[in-house]
Amino acid sequence: MKKLFICVLLVVVGYYSGMAQSGALQQAVNKLDQAQTVKDYQVLEKTFAGISEQPAWLPPYYAALCNAKIGFLLQDDGEKIEPFADRGETLAKQALSLLDSTTQKKELAEVYTVLSMVYRTKVFINPMTYGRKYGVLSGQMLQKALALEPGNPRALYVSAWVKYYTPRMWGGDKEQAKKLATESLQKLGNPGTDVYPHWGRADDQQLLAKIK
Amino acid sequence: MKTGLFFIALLPFAAIAQSKQDTTIKSKRPLQEVVVSAGSFEASDRAKGASLTPIDAVTVAGSNADISQALRSLPGAQQIGEQSGLFVRGGTGDETRQFIDGTLLKTPNYPAVPGVPQYARINPFLFKGILFSSGGYSALYGSAMSSALIMESTDLPEKTSASFSVFPANLGAGFQHLAQNNKSSYGVNLNYSNQSLYNSVVPQVPDYFAGPAYADGNFNFRIRTGKTGMLKLYSNWSYSDVGMRKPDIDSAALNAGYQVRGWNSYNNLSFRSYLNNNWKMDLGAVYSYNREATANSLTDAKGNTAVSSLPYKTGNRTIRTDFAQARVVFTRFFSKGQALRFGGEHFYTRDKGMSNDSALALTDHLSAAFAEGDIYLAPNLAAKAGVRMEYASVLRKLVVAPRLSIAYRLPDASQFNLAYGIFYQEPANDFLYRYRDLNFSSATHYVLNYTKKANNRFFRAELYYKKYHHLVKTTPTLSNNGNGYAQGLELFWRDKKSVKDLDYWITYTYLDTKRNYLDYPYALRPSFTAPHTTTVAVKKFFREISTNVNVSWALAAGRPYYHINTHGITDQGTTKAYNIANLHIAYLCSFFKNRKWKDFSGFAMGVNNLFGTKQVFGYQYSANGQLREPVTLPATRGYFIGVFMSFGIDRTDDFLNNNL
Repeated sequence: MKKLFICVLLVVVGYYSGMAQSGALQQAVNKLDQAQTVKDYQVLEKTFAGISEQPAWLPPYYAALCNAKIGFLLQDDGEKIEPFADRGETLAKQALSLLDSTTQKKELAEVYTVLSMVYRTKVFINPMTYGRKYGVLSGQMLQKALALEPGNPRALYVSAWVKYYTPRMWGGDKEQAKKLATESLQKLGNPGTDVYPHWGRADDQQLLAKIK
Repeated sequence: MKTGLFFIALLPFAAIAQSKQDTTIKSKRPLQEVVVSAGSFEASDRAKGASLTPIDAVTVAGSNADISQALRSLPGAQQIGEQSGLFVRGGTGDETRQFIDGTLLKTPNYPAVPGVPQYARINPFLFKGILFSSGGYSALYGSAMSSALIMESTDLPEKTSASFSVFPANLGAGFQHLAQNNKSSYGVNLNYSNQSLYNSVVPQVPDYFAGPAYADGNFNFRIRTGKTGMLKLYSNWSYSDVGMRKPDIDSAALNAGYQVRGWNSYNNLSFRSYLNNNWKMDLGAVYSYNREATANSLTDAKGNTAVSSLPYKTGNRTIRTDFAQARVVFTRFFSKGQALRFGGEHFYTRDKGMSNDSALALTDHLSAAFAEGDIYLAPNLAAKAGVRMEYASVLRKLVVAPRLSIAYRLPDASQFNLAYGIFYQEPANDFLYRYRDLNFSSATHYVLNYTKKANNRFFRAELYYKKYHHLVKTTPTLSNNGNGYAQGLELFWRDKKSVKDLDYWITYTYLDTKRNYLDYPYALRPSFTAPHTTTVAVKKFFREISTNVNVSWALAAGRPYYHINTHGITDQGTTKAYNIANLHIAYLCSFFKNRKWKDFSGFAMGVNNLFGTKQVFGYQYSANGQLREPVTLPATRGYFIGVFMSFGIDRTDDFLNNNL
């Protein structure tokens, strides 16, 4: 009952705050929380790319995230990923350019996390040829994100993903992946549904279900 | 397996790399919507999806670290088990030429031994790009009637590193040093292979009395000059000794011996640079030295030298070849991915030798000039048109070879390609020693190809017709009166998507060909061609146990065989079908966990001809034609096992970049 009340409250608050400042963005973010298929993300990517609301870095950030998500969903489809990855990279860089490097460290950490994911999807295009460059870039972006905000739960999730999927001899470690995903989940707590990045719960849970 | 270092290249199967960014110079060539690709398979370090990478192309099980053996798993190539080289679309092994950074690699394999393919001299992992053309290739290349294997060497390595490999029959060590400023590098590699111990465990027919032993050392130096310049030097020195003996087919009491020793030096210098935004220059120079000494002998049961009434049964032959080539190519780039390339090259060959008591000598200057344009016709239509002129001093003939290919892209991103071209080649030196009044041989190619690449899958179908003119005939007299044709259909299917971490391809080759050449009394299906060939290559990486399993399988219909003498064909038939499966397994690990000394290592083992099927490639006949014995594998199965290690690097596929 209490949960339901909070939910209703959140929706109402969200609705009003949305009305007040970020109607379209908030709506799109709410939809993003439910998105699952490539199609969903493709539609949302267009929506985000068309929004011009404050804070200005959020629409390109979310559009980049949609492209990264599509890349992960298409990870066995090789070259099909490329246009999404390319657009994701452009959008993430656009979001970076809208942030202040001295005062907006947390926001930067969010964008670097997504950029790291975008580069990871470039590796999927062909690990043998793209892994060398983009695997490295992906790792560097993730380190940047964690340096800017050490406990960022989304950066922790991406670290967990990397630890889980890297073969053991290259430093992969499932136990470590479990620890990181659990930590990420704890940090997320109840992240709310605000427009500020709050995703990660479902991703952590999915990964943890695999490790079990 | 010649080099254990070969296996180190298996390591990059991991998706996640941790090394520095690559140090290659980006191509300034704009992306093109349509890429003209008739007749060729391209393996590039920029491959996407299911397109081939150089590693994909060369890590086919059973390839013995020989690029031309590895490429036999692609359509168009014949399964020839008794000699080195690549036999493409009804062509002989001589009709395929290998080029490294534009210049000819004249002797890619160690000296030939009858019935036993010999190792390649150069590690196939030295290449970041491999273009295997089975027809209709570019006007920038010539001297190959059937096929060109165009290879591009790697640039700077990613890090300083050292490596070792120990296989009982093969030892290898090398290191590579990258300068602090990432602008230059040098490296040295040594390999030594001696099969005698192995052969004492796995008996071979014939019986070896010398080696087989192979030694090679190579060094490389590469430096970036200016913003876009890259200068590369690669030098390879090798020695081999193979001596074998088997019962003589003409005299039961005697043994026939064959020994070949070879000394070779191959030196390649190349430079490329953009002159400005629109102009690029490629320079190449090569000098190679090759000396081969062969001895045929007859011995009795006690090992004493015996004589025979057949003069070819005994004798010595020594040939020394100096070969040099210089080449320059200019490229002018235009809008919409268009480009004009033109340039020239000069080949110098000097052979000097003795065959028993007669001297052999030949000096030839082959000059060539060429021009080729990439032309944009429409967003979905592109063409490559070129022409090549060649003059050979020994033949005193000038020839002009037109080349044309067109690519048409369909809305679903699949593509049709058409290619046409004339390809000239000089007669082999062995004929020119005897008689100079010969002509170029030539082949005219017509190729129609369809490719579709999508979602980590790749389908390709190709139809072709090839007409041979002026092939060399040895009977009744040495002349260019031979001719022939080849036509066929080839299919290729690769799928990396359907099963996680599993990559497989399947090919089918149909070949209809006849030629009248050498001593053939009339046009015959050549003895090195099978009408139907199927190959399968499967690679699976088991992440949980860091193990890579690599299987290849080839099946080919029987090949024709003939016994031909002055009376014509006295015996002929078709061999049994060829059927061979190879299995390679590599386990990847680290021996030293200490971070500073992190190594990338592994164990590799393999069995060639896993099921032990008996292969017959043809027959060897006695002088009177009444006795014959099958030409088959020296041993039913081949095995190898060993360990390899690479130190001081974040990523082990540095080895790909280590040489050249």
